[in-house]
Amino acid sequence: MYDKTVRRRRAVLALLVVLSLLLLTAYFGESSGGGLHGVQRTFLTIVSPIQDGANKALKPVRDAFGWIGDTIDAKGQRNELRKQIDRLRPELIAAQAEQRTYRQLIALYHLNQLGLSNYHPVAATVVGKSPNIWYSTVTIDKGSPDGIRVNDPVVNGEGLVGKVVAVEPDGAQVDLITDSTMGVSARVGTGNATGIVQPKVGAPNDLLLQYLPATAQANKGEYVVTSGTVAGPDDSLYPPGLLIGQVTSVNEESAYKSANVHPIANLHNLDVVEVLTSRPGGTAEKQKALIASLPAGQGSESSTQGEQLASTGGGG
Amino acid sequence: MTGTPSAGLLARVAALAIVVVFFQIGVVSEVPVFGVNVDLTPLLVAFVGLLCGSTIGAVTGFAVGLLMDLALFQTLGITSLVFTMVGYWAGRLRELRDPQAALTPLLVGAAAAATALIGYSLIEFLLGVDAPVSFDLVRQIVLGTVVDTIVALPMWAIVRRALEGALPEDPRRRRRRRAYTTGGLSPLSKA
Repeated sequence: MYDKTVRRRRAVLALLVVLSLLLLTAYFGESSGGGLHGVQRTFLTIVSPIQDGANKALKPVRDAFGWIGDTIDAKGQRNELRKQIDRLRPELIAAQAEQRTYRQLIALYHLNQLGLSNYHPVAATVVGKSPNIWYSTVTIDKGSPDGIRVNDPVVNGEGLVGKVVAVEPDGAQVDLITDSTMGVSARVGTGNATGIVQPKVGAPNDLLLQYLPATAQANKGEYVVTSGTVAGPDDSLYPPGLLIGQVTSVNEESAYKSANVHPIANLHNLDVVEVLTSRPGGTAEKQKALIASLPAGQGSESSTQGEQLASTGGGG
Repeated sequence: MTGTPSAGLLARVAALAIVVVFFQIGVVSEVPVFGVNVDLTPLLVAFVGLLCGSTIGAVTGFAVGLLMDLALFQTLGITSLVFTMVGYWAGRLRELRDPQAALTPLLVGAAAAATALIGYSLIEFLLGVDAPVSFDLVRQIVLGTVVDTIVALPMWAIVRRALEGALPEDPRRRRRRRAYTTGGLSPLSKA
């Protein structure tokens, strides 16, 4: 009985192995149009609808398994992407800084094309900013060897930024127009009336155009530019026509009118500036000729004196 | 198992094989785990052999292998040959050792998966498949064995549950149980 069982078991095994080898050999040896391939195709034809039905029926199960796998994969991908972000972040920051610098340089270039090149602009990079809310100052990397002197106006592509208040051989300090010590002779739009732009008390990031004659025209939205008045020894420090800000509201007062002004230049984001190393006095004859052509009585003296007062009195 | 298998058992094995093959092709093969696919078919063959003996194990291996080769349009005979050996080996393990340890299915599953993966690769190489023996191939075999081992215990429970009612009682187990219950090997009988 035992021998019979063993013989049968071994015979079955031998039969199956031989059958497998025969199938293997025959299948491997025949062309794709052979009999076994035909059987396989027939089987597929029969089984395909069943397989298709099973595939659809089992889709929720597959999706459930897939969801688990996808979740695990997604975690791995998330970690990899985080590493990529960490790697790319410094590059992005550097690229953004370069882009910002490029934009500012382009803006400065356009400004120079409009006439500032006559003032011998010296491009400088802002290397330090005052963290103190009471002092709006920046430090630039150009100094006296580059021809920079105290009181030189500083501009960027958007307009007036401030003026130089201290010069060293390897750098200079610039007071921004929002610094409490600053005062800039300015006028509204194309009008002739001038006033003094100073930081607004209690709002250090806003400006106040003061001492405008009560009859002066000043409307919301108008641009405020430097007056660049030249009238003898009290010439304005700044070239005429430099954009300072935009009128946000007008205050009617008894003797004078004042206007709230929002600075145009983004003073929180300065990277590249230009120092105008040649004063308007250098082209005095030309400007005096311009003044002479203006109607008499357009007072600019008071504003010029005010700018000087603000500059000297406040340490500027 | 030494006697002739019952028709009920054969029917259950056949139904289980068809369900597992279609589940494998339709679901499990489409869900990669750790970059490899779980293969339930060598586990099925090994566990059928472990429960039913070498003859049924070998026949099941051949049939499941043939079904897989036909359904997946693979070279006929390769999977049949490998699975025949797996089923026969698992059945002989039961007939010779009859391991009762709880981890037996785990070890048998791991061995079956490894044998199937290595055997399939060897035959493919023998047939002249133009592929180098690379580290990636070894990694796939190792990972495939690991993931199959992970699912071995649940698969064992399913196969045993499916065949439980139709399995004929093994004469060796019957003898062993009789010895315990009649005092032949009971420690109490020596007292």
